[in-house]
Amino acid sequence: MKKNLTIGGSRFHAVKKALLIMKLSFLLILAGALQVSANVNGQIKVSLKLDKVEISKALNTIEKQGTYRFLYNSRLESIRQKIDIDVSNLEIRDVLSQMFKGTDLTYKMLDNNLIVVVSGTLTVQDIKITGKVTGEGGEGLSGASVSLKGTSRGTTTDNTGNFTLTVPENGTIVISSIGFETREIAINSQSVINVKLTTANKVMDQVVVIGYGTVNKRDLTGSIVKIDGKEIADKPNTNPVSSLQSKVAGLYVVNNGTPGKEPDIRIRGTVSIGQVHPLYVVDGIFNDNIDYLNPNDIESIEVLKDPSSLAIFGVRGATGAIVITTKKAKSGQVLVNFNSTYGFKNLVDKIKLTNASQFKTLFAEENANNNVNINIDSAIGIGLNSNTDWIKAVTRTGAQTMNNVSVSATSEKNRFNLGVGYTLDQGIIRHEELQKWLLSFSDEYKLSKGIKVGINFNGSRQKLPYPYGRFVNVLDDARKVVPQISSGTKSFKVRDLYGASTDSITENLYSQLNLGLQTSGVVNPLLYLENEWDKTSDIEYRNVGSVFAEVNFLKNFTWRSTVYADITSSNNRQYVPTYYGYDPLANTPVVYSPTTRVQEDDDTRRKFQQDHVLTFRKSFGDHNVTATAGFTTYYSGVFNRTGKSGQATGPSSLPIPNDPRFWYVNNFFQDPTGTSATSSQSENSTVSELARVLYNYKQKYFFNASFRDDASSRLLPANRHQQFWALGAGWDVSKEAFMNTQKMFDFLKIKGSVGVLGNQTAVQDDGITIIDYPAYPLLNTGSTTVFGNTVYAAATPIYIANPNLKWETVSAQEVGFELSSFQNRLHFEANYYNKTTNNLMTYVNRQQLGLPNELINGGSLRNWGEEFAATWNQKLTNDFSIVVSGNITFLNNKVLKLSDELPTGVLDVTSQNNGEAISETKPGMPIGYFKGYIVTGVFQNQAEIDNSADQSSLGPTARPGDLKYKDISGPDGKLDNKITSDDRTKIGNPTPKYTYGGTIALNYKGLNLSVDVGGVYGNQVYRTWGALESPYQRVNYAAFELKRWHGEGTSNSEPLLSQADRSNYVGSTRSIEDGSYFRIRNMQLGYNLPNSLLSKASIKNLRVFVNVQNLKTWKHNSGYTPEFGGIATQFGYDFATGEIPVVTTFGLNVTF
Amino acid sequence: MKRIYWVLLIATATLITVAGCKKLLDRQPLSGSLDDLKSGKLESQVYVMYSHLPWDWGFNLSWIDFHSIRDDDAEKGSNQTDGAEVNTEFDKFVGYTKDDWALNSYWNDHYAVITAANNVLATAKELNATDPATLRNVGEACFFRAYCYFELVKDFGEVPLINFPVLKPTDAIQPKALVPAIYQQIDSDLNVAVQYLPVNSSAYGSGFDGRLTQGAALTLWAQTALFRSDWAKVASLCQQIIGLGQYSLAPNFTDLWKAGPNGAGHNGPESIWETQTVVGQNAATNSAVDHGTMWQTCQGIRQGGASNDWNLGWGWNTPTQQLVDDWDNSDPRKNQTILFSGQSDGGAAEGGYGRTLPPYSASEAGGIARKYWNKKVYSDPAMHAFTGQLTGNADWLGHRILRYADVILMLAEAANETGDGATAEANLELVRARARGGNIAVLPHITFVSQDQMRLAIKNERRWEFAMEGYRFYDLVRWTPATTDTIDAPHILGPLGYQPKNALYPLPQQAIDLSGGVLKQNPNY
Repeated sequence: MKKNLTIGGSRFHAVKKALLIMKLSFLLILAGALQVSANVNGQIKVSLKLDKVEISKALNTIEKQGTYRFLYNSRLESIRQKIDIDVSNLEIRDVLSQMFKGTDLTYKMLDNNLIVVVSGTLTVQDIKITGKVTGEGGEGLSGASVSLKGTSRGTTTDNTGNFTLTVPENGTIVISSIGFETREIAINSQSVINVKLTTANKVMDQVVVIGYGTVNKRDLTGSIVKIDGKEIADKPNTNPVSSLQSKVAGLYVVNNGTPGKEPDIRIRGTVSIGQVHPLYVVDGIFNDNIDYLNPNDIESIEVLKDPSSLAIFGVRGATGAIVITTKKAKSGQVLVNFNSTYGFKNLVDKIKLTNASQFKTLFAEENANNNVNINIDSAIGIGLNSNTDWIKAVTRTGAQTMNNVSVSATSEKNRFNLGVGYTLDQGIIRHEELQKWLLSFSDEYKLSKGIKVGINFNGSRQKLPYPYGRFVNVLDDARKVVPQISSGTKSFKVRDLYGASTDSITENLYSQLNLGLQTSGVVNPLLYLENEWDKTSDIEYRNVGSVFAEVNFLKNFTWRSTVYADITSSNNRQYVPTYYGYDPLANTPVVYSPTTRVQEDDDTRRKFQQDHVLTFRKSFGDHNVTATAGFTTYYSGVFNRTGKSGQATGPSSLPIPNDPRFWYVNNFFQDPTGTSATSSQSENSTVSELARVLYNYKQKYFFNASFRDDASSRLLPANRHQQFWALGAGWDVSKEAFMNTQKMFDFLKIKGSVGVLGNQTAVQDDGITIIDYPAYPLLNTGSTTVFGNTVYAAATPIYIANPNLKWETVSAQEVGFELSSFQNRLHFEANYYNKTTNNLMTYVNRQQLGLPNELINGGSLRNWGEEFAATWNQKLTNDFSIVVSGNITFLNNKVLKLSDELPTGVLDVTSQNNGEAISETKPGMPIGYFKGYIVTGVFQNQAEIDNSADQSSLGPTARPGDLKYKDISGPDGKLDNKITSDDRTKIGNPTPKYTYGGTIALNYKGLNLSVDVGGVYGNQVYRTWGALESPYQRVNYAAFELKRWHGEGTSNSEPLLSQADRSNYVGSTRSIEDGSYFRIRNMQLGYNLPNSLLSKASIKNLRVFVNVQNLKTWKHNSGYTPEFGGIATQFGYDFATGEIPVVTTFGLNVTF
Repeated sequence: MKRIYWVLLIATATLITVAGCKKLLDRQPLSGSLDDLKSGKLESQVYVMYSHLPWDWGFNLSWIDFHSIRDDDAEKGSNQTDGAEVNTEFDKFVGYTKDDWALNSYWNDHYAVITAANNVLATAKELNATDPATLRNVGEACFFRAYCYFELVKDFGEVPLINFPVLKPTDAIQPKALVPAIYQQIDSDLNVAVQYLPVNSSAYGSGFDGRLTQGAALTLWAQTALFRSDWAKVASLCQQIIGLGQYSLAPNFTDLWKAGPNGAGHNGPESIWETQTVVGQNAATNSAVDHGTMWQTCQGIRQGGASNDWNLGWGWNTPTQQLVDDWDNSDPRKNQTILFSGQSDGGAAEGGYGRTLPPYSASEAGGIARKYWNKKVYSDPAMHAFTGQLTGNADWLGHRILRYADVILMLAEAANETGDGATAEANLELVRARARGGNIAVLPHITFVSQDQMRLAIKNERRWEFAMEGYRFYDLVRWTPATTDTIDAPHILGPLGYQPKNALYPLPQQAIDLSGGVLKQNPNY
């Protein structure tokens, strides 16, 4: 081929053009045939220095360098334009751009380094391009987005990474895929563009969502962890937060096996004695939970932990933030995604109790111990001879299914995404079932080049398992019932309680207990569960939506205004039917629930938020600035109404029929004088201004500053405004010249931040009920007094007004570094954090002074520790890659002081059996530590008792077999050889010393296997069952009580059996168990079907997988699970509940 | 340019919302707070003091522990394991944990009422009003403060004296005041109460039956004088009460315990002060008409292994074998005070309802765990049906805190001690005559022979008349050492484990801890 080809004259323009096209087509075909070279054009660099030469001459010079050849019409005028050029080692595109600058010349790059130069006056044509997007190892990347730059025209790659797209021949396409660096490629008339993407395992290249904006992770000075929505979508958790367990350093998630129940989440420790759950920000709206979100609609979750990223949230920032971005349509054609999982749940690690014969043995022994001479069979109940496993009787294999369909489509101006989901989630307790319908919709429309408007909506309808608080104790009730009671039904001829007066019907009845043996507080759980489970209805509708408008103006400014609303209404109805049980001793039917009644609760929650944010982005040479200023308001109102009615009493009254038609307060059958209604309502709002500057110099030195002023309706005007701020700095050491010679680090950044965050926690002493009006003490509505037959309302304030109240502030610091090494295979991040909560809102018990609780500022609390996270990412062969990651967080917590006003105050939260189970919060100690006596053994004989400290203050005179406690103090702080309340001390800490997690993922062609593990170490669990039984309840024995003391030398840990020996039932180390555990959290095997199979069915992507959650837990305690949440000052209690099932799911994910 | 309009539009919208911010932030509760109580502020705070009585443990379950279970006639009751710690602490006088519910709630609840009283007095002072209503309220507050301090000084001896509103909690941390200082406060408070409280609750207006009266203040004052053996003052105060002409002994002893809307004992002629309740029809499902108390719930028959209709309470405070054995069967009050398991409740004549109790069974298998139960809280099945509270709480049965029979017997005792045998004899006879119920064969008239003879007769009369009502422990303590008989705490309670230190109870450890050591534990605990 000749070097310079000149074709015809301008007269024959059309002909020439046709010819040109023919030749180009030929070349293209050739190029297609030769594309195996897979060498992307223009990669060989060019150097050139010419002064005042014609362009054609310059092209000639380049040709002489041997790589590129040019094809142009030498009659073009612009080809003779004279230029200066001085480039060295630049890509040919850049060289040509420089040369053609100011001319109408454009070029098309063909394969084999042939470049066609034409005049720009030629019409730009659309061409069809095809190509393949591959990863570093050459594997096809499915689902990668390929779009025309500056437009929303685009597509996504199929299962093997191939794509086809029609684009203007001079356009540029943008190729992006999650986990890879985005690339832009100029088309230049190439019809085949194969792109290799490099892995963004350089975690720092992620774009992360922060408050009121997004930022490249590289520009951050703090700690934000991003979790891809894919990690959440295929996990069998109806609440997306549950899936974060063990995934993120610093994030401590305590899950719960009850469907839909909120996990207990704390970020970097327990920073308050009030509310400690993080702030959730879903597409901008502030929230307290995210149970209305479909896990499949989540694009990403960011966990914000450090002061520099949290200060922008001001008074909501102290507890950390979880920022969720929901899915929006990506550039591409119409995409339809369907996914479905089906699975089942099984109870594992069942608590162990005694069976019938064991119970009989132990109970006989207990009676003997107390000289109760009674025939053991008659004590248990003659004729009661079942051997029921009560835990088994109330549990089952639960089913779970989650199904979602989503459609997304984009056009030039519009992006639209619609998703619908249905979830059924059964608990392992009989009849426990959550149903959810979920809807998501987002649409974004470009009004003009600089103006966008959009709408976002998430709706859900949830049918909650039971009305609040109903049947929550099924497992605890079950473990109490003695095994001799039958769990089955018996048939009796009875009167129809709803009508007839004679025994006319036959019913299968559940057993009552032997009321002589098991009385108050013990009940056959099946009796109420089976009769009442379907007599309730608890339905919640939630609508969360927002609209926004965004305007770009003056090049560098963006104004975005968003208005949000979150409206929930729920209706909760309970009908108590009338029904029988049978007396198991007399073998007769007994009316167990004598009267019918109805309760209705209506809850409306309204939240409104508006954000107006102005962003300025500009680079001044090496200085890059992003500045944000904003104004936002937030309103939240809660309105509740409860109505109750019951059937009238008296012989002629009719029951309310057992039909959902009548489950309303007014149903005609109700007693007109026995109907009552109550309500509760409160509102609060905040108005805030915020500002933030992110600055970096050459992407090497980073600084940021953020500020927020929050004004809250909860405070009186004098203290209403409070300011929060943070400063952060970072240094990318690897960008320094002196690092050029080293091979060790691909990336190394040192960073740190300081700031003051806020917590508008203000809760009543239950640790839960939020106080919206601390300056105006509400009055106890139920507090009344009676004179004669008249009732008067007494004005008892729930708390004392505190006009000086301020919010808690958390003074937080963080330093850390992150690095990449081994060709970016290793990414490692380490942080040290320190947070001191000041002005702690304390609610210290002052009842001993006759005073009600007052919410005051005083006291402080410190949380500090280290976090480490590492990821190793390696491609072993083209088909086989491995990712290993792990994280560990060390936690320390110390209460510095509790109250300025009352330094001796401590905060005790007690539960169980006359308050023997104590969580104490006290200066110098970790928050909510367990307090009690230390058991040193079991008295083996009288001599040992005589030689030990006097325990008479704990109960009747000690005898052999009773627990022996350690004398650690006395009234004057000295040993007094007496066991008294002075000898109670710290016996456990519910906060782990460290928490950790890890993942191993293996990918082989379409197959992938991943294993998530996690655990905690160094915390204790307070087991109340089998140790702190109420003195007036006879309950089944725990299996470990078989190891009780029953004679000298038989046991030195479990005391003799005798509920009368109360000294054995005080809170002590007997109840404390090791809470450390290690769990295989998820194991997932998935397979992406090859494209060759799918393409015939027009399927883009099809994945099948099987996932097992909680496959195995290695633990040391006797409960169902080692993890128990709670409130800030009382957590880690095992009340014989908290089952965590193994969940096995099979899933299918199809994209059309 | 078009974009500029958009910017303007949004900016305007923003400005409008910013302008509305002040309104957005000024929020007050959507229900009443203390600030909303303008004219009724004092009155509704007064109600607070009363509102502690029905449900606070310190005036119910714990009150029973301190007042009744500590004597020889009552025991914890219930079943073997329920509240076993109370057995040791209150029945056997051993093993004080100093940190348990009974002690803590008793202490805390009394101080809570003292705080409420101090607040009322502070508000009254702030209002600076001298109208009769305000003065009555001052009288009520003084009464409540005296009532609580009298109980505290009886039980603990020296306690912190808080007679001012506590503005910050450290103000309430005070060392123990000497016993005379506490009595000085009680006397001064009751002096005010006697002046300001009305003779009859009708002075408050209609609908205030049972509200505090002068008679209540005088009775309480007489009790405090009795405890100090100030006989002349007791006699004079009792005469004043009688002189008010407001009270009389109910003709029928069993009527005293009949409650409910039409119950004879509810604010009856003998009632000087009692916990007020009103429990309406269908209260079981209608909390709006359920304003009861836990007084009976603590003490009613415990179901055990019996059928549901015997689930009448927790079964605390039951008669001891000692009481049954010591009590002459000829005293009609015996069967009117004690219910016997497995036997008939005696029908209307003995205050029963014609039911037969389930049999006694220590293990509760098929029966109930005590042989004897307190009949003074035995609830009426008709009321159970009326309220729909078919089982459990007969919460309409309130505590008869001060009753006229005590005034009569206090007068008898004081008269006897001051040498007025005739008045002693006459008043003793009043109580015995009512108990006799017209049957001259029983409870013969006791003629004054000697001061010692009459003293023993009055001591015995107090035991029978007030059995299970919580008088006896303090009577035994104040009769120590007995002059001629052996009816005193060491002789009667000694065999149960009582030692001199047990006249006072240990202070709650929590209160000592909170004071940072300012409070000191009582001696020998």
